Amino acid sequence: MKTILLLLCITLSAAAVTAQSKYYTKSGKIYFDATSPKSPENVNAVNKSVICVLDSKTGNLQFSVLMKGFEFERALMQEHFNENYVESNKFPKGEFKGVISNNGAVNYAKDGVYPVKVSGKLTIHGETKAIETNGTLTVKNGKVTATAEFVVTIADYKITVPQLVADKVAKTATIKVDCMLDVLKQ
Amino acid sequence: MKKKSFIWYTLLIVLIIAVAGGFYAYKEFNRKAKSMSEEQAAFRLTQAELLNEFSANEKAATEKFADKVLEVTGVVKLVDTDDKGFATVVLGDSGSLSSVRCSIDSTQTQTTASLQPNTKITIKGICTGYNADELGLGSDVILNRCVLLKS
Repeated sequence: MKTILLLLCITLSAAAVTAQSKYYTKSGKIYFDATSPKSPENVNAVNKSVICVLDSKTGNLQFSVLMKGFEFERALMQEHFNENYVESNKFPKGEFKGVISNNGAVNYAKDGVYPVKVSGKLTIHGETKAIETNGTLTVKNGKVTATAEFVVTIADYKITVPQLVADKVAKTATIKVDCMLDVLKQ
Repeated sequence: MKKKSFIWYTLLIVLIIAVAGGFYAYKEFNRKAKSMSEEQAAFRLTQAELLNEFSANEKAATEKFADKVLEVTGVVKLVDTDDKGFATVVLGDSGSLSSVRCSIDSTQTQTTASLQPNTKITIKGICTGYNADELGLGSDVILNRCVLLKS
């Protein structure tokens, strides 16, 4: 009986520790830039309502974003982005599910800047592709800021750019992630 | 003589159409997103009503509200301001994880800086959709480019 109680205590306290180990935000930022190198036209947008959850125990990392939430400077560009390119009515969300492969090198209890390697699956426009990128975790006063920058090939996600504007939209898009995460209190 | 003037008139009309078309294309190309203060709200409702519609039927609510301008009244749960000055006003009950999250238009962040929790406010913004609770963080309706109407 005592053993069972002890085991129960251990399991419970382990669960409590796991609950403490999650960091999250619902107002992370993702910047997107597909400006063609030869074109003077800026094709860029920002989304300020990105959900990001990081499990510091396992290094599991997850992002979720509503495609309609990307704000462009030009209204027409935003309409084309939603209607023709990412088809946000059909595919409302973009998602990334991955893991920090060198999570052991990050000390979440100690302030510092930690370079990380992230690999996982990115879903945009209903297409899922494996990606790998380098990023940074900055631990400061109990908060973790996750930043990363990577390049995706637009055609990989079955997004077709009409011939007419092919020289105005780059073949690749640079995606910049900037999320300040708080401890998840449960 | 008559034939010649007819050609001239035709040319003139073609020219006017071309100029007007060009002007329209230029205006359309440079069109900025309309300021939220000038937009007419398609729906006026409370934060709880909006959340209920989405949690009852996400698909129907998305069709009804997404891309529409909404005026939402609710109680401030918190104002989430980041290191770059971007602000999100969260409307909802402090007892519930679910809320209506209003990303404030970057030109309007000074109006929400002094907002206190538990204040009842009305906010206007464009609905971008719903994040159903998949991660144990509560479900949220997201509004974008929001402006504060009154507190």
